[in-house]
Amino acid sequence: MLAAAASAVPRLRLAAPPPPLRQAPGRIKWLLPRRRSLSSSVPNVTPAAGAGALEPPDLPRLANAARISLSPQEAEEFAPKIRQVVEWFGQLQAVDLESIEPSLRAGTAAGSSLREDKPETFAKRDAIVDAIPSYDDPYIKVPRVLNKE
Amino acid sequence: MPPPLQAHRLLISHRRLPTPARRRFTAVSSVQSPPAKTLAPGPAASSVLSIRESLLSGERTAAEITAEYLSRLHRTEPSVRSFIHVAEAAAQREAEELDRRIASEGKDALGPLAGVLVGVKDNLCTANMPSTGGSRILEGYQPAYDATAVRLLREAGAIVVGKTNLDEFGMGSTTEGSAFQVTKNPWDDSRVPGGSSGGSASAVSARQCVVSLGSDTGGSVRQPASFCGVVGLKPTYGRVSRFGLMAYASSLDVVGCFGSSVFDTATILSVVSGHDKMDSTSSSQDVPDYASELVSLDSLESKPLNGLRIGIIQETLGEGVDIGVASSIKAAASHLEQLGSVVEEVSLPSFSLGLPAYYILASSEASSNLSRYDGIRYGRQISADDLNELYGESRANGLGHEVKMRILMGTYALSAGYYDAYYKRAQQVRTLVKESFKGALERFDILVSPAAPSAAYKIGEKINDPLAMYAGDIMTVNVNLAGLPALVVPCGFVEGGPAGLPIGLQMIGSPFSEGNLLRVGHIFEQTLQNFSFVPPLSSER
Repeated sequence: MLAAAASAVPRLRLAAPPPPLRQAPGRIKWLLPRRRSLSSSVPNVTPAAGAGALEPPDLPRLANAARISLSPQEAEEFAPKIRQVVEWFGQLQAVDLESIEPSLRAGTAAGSSLREDKPETFAKRDAIVDAIPSYDDPYIKVPRVLNKE
Repeated sequence: MPPPLQAHRLLISHRRLPTPARRRFTAVSSVQSPPAKTLAPGPAASSVLSIRESLLSGERTAAEITAEYLSRLHRTEPSVRSFIHVAEAAAQREAEELDRRIASEGKDALGPLAGVLVGVKDNLCTANMPSTGGSRILEGYQPAYDATAVRLLREAGAIVVGKTNLDEFGMGSTTEGSAFQVTKNPWDDSRVPGGSSGGSASAVSARQCVVSLGSDTGGSVRQPASFCGVVGLKPTYGRVSRFGLMAYASSLDVVGCFGSSVFDTATILSVVSGHDKMDSTSSSQDVPDYASELVSLDSLESKPLNGLRIGIIQETLGEGVDIGVASSIKAAASHLEQLGSVVEEVSLPSFSLGLPAYYILASSEASSNLSRYDGIRYGRQISADDLNELYGESRANGLGHEVKMRILMGTYALSAGYYDAYYKRAQQVRTLVKESFKGALERFDILVSPAAPSAAYKIGEKINDPLAMYAGDIMTVNVNLAGLPALVVPCGFVEGGPAGLPIGLQMIGSPFSEGNLLRVGHIFEQTLQNFSFVPPLSSER
């Protein structure tokens, strides 16, 4: 049943990127921040000095990198939405963040606590093994690793 | 007959609190007051306390209490659909076991949460129950261990009644993103309960369980709490162990809790908080007994919040915010002033930048965290000729629409050449947001705002427009970026649905100040008159 479902969904691996779609103007304008106190630039997506023009998302390449097979319908459906969100992300380009340190995390959990480097046995190994879809004791079975191509 | 629209009642700011008439904070026994009676306006009473009293006095058994909740659950589930999985037999067994132990050991058998029924969001692992994360890719998966928060609740005597519905892997703000079912808001079955912890919020709201666990990455506990009229707490990042919480964005995720009263919420927070060697981001800060710091009403002075400095975040009451929401929050602020606090407006200029920064960080971290769902180690596997195809097909088949979108966006933001433009800049904005809050929390003890720009949306309203959906998170995401604690307490209603739609007041504090937030929230809740936050459906017999 699963194999039939798999073959019913054609894979989109190396297809050409979908043709560029025109964006509805003014759609996300109201989501742009009031930037009075942070920068004097106009509230448009103008890249800050040095950022350069950013390529729009190449969906087939991204899908391959993320190991998610996209059907042509999904690609068509996703592309405009993703492009719209990525454009919205672009408003960060217009902000002057020159001297600001990036924060990796919130910084509320004070210091890292490392536990002792002492191995402990996990009692429920069987439950972990039971969850594996394709198991052939003691191997986890997978299809061939190397691609024909 | 449903109660008249709450919004038409006199605002608290128009009344003076009469000292002799103020209600005592007493636990309301769950025997003498079937839900219909709690429709009478009055402050929320602690169900945890009332269960404890019933068990101690022998008035009720754990089995009877469990049966009552299960019966209400079954009656309301066809409409609300909070639960992906209900563990009825296990709950009954545990209740009977507790009764046996009470009979032989007496009150020593009672842990702090003995007999309390808990709902657990399905992205928290439970060893004897399926844990799907709201996703088909984990359909049928049964973890080998309990999440630490779940384990601690169980050790305290709580009974896990089931796994609640959520947006897949926590990604979403309506719970419509669940692969399994749509949960309805108990206040209006044409509306969403909020998300991503929609099932946990609706389960407590509909009184299907006493308290519940959720998770909050960008507002996923606070917004549903507001939409469903329950108390929701997002702890400080590191307060509660994330071990066993299916990771969405590791630098933002926290485990949070829901209750029908601040007291109950404070009780479970104490139980689940603390350092955990299995989570290196968990904090070693001491865990206070939060509930013991909540005083009863008659021991309050007339101005119990004397001198408390409260800042209303200016950016959360302007353009784009529902008029009804803004006026509920302003009324709440007046109430807080009446209680003795000093309320001023404060501006957090980096506020609106926090929203795209949040989505960049969250999508990027999600793209990494969700790469473990590969069809190999657990979950659903689609067979294929080679390994990459197996990954591709299993993930394509098992992961939902919104999750795929966010993984792809995150993959883009992290790819070579774009990291500086997106991820790094988002982290810089994060610094700005943190500093902005820090500055404000030096001038003020707590900051307040709505939890969402509106009351609950209609089902299907936001589903096709991702940006419209994301925009609703503006009130909540900055708190996650800064790792701060926040409490949402129901404060009023707006028009809509058969009995009005609830609105919650969000209170934000500095790191590890949950105790202060709960103290203020409790006083606010207990002195809030003329509102009942029990939805009509759970009052019908």
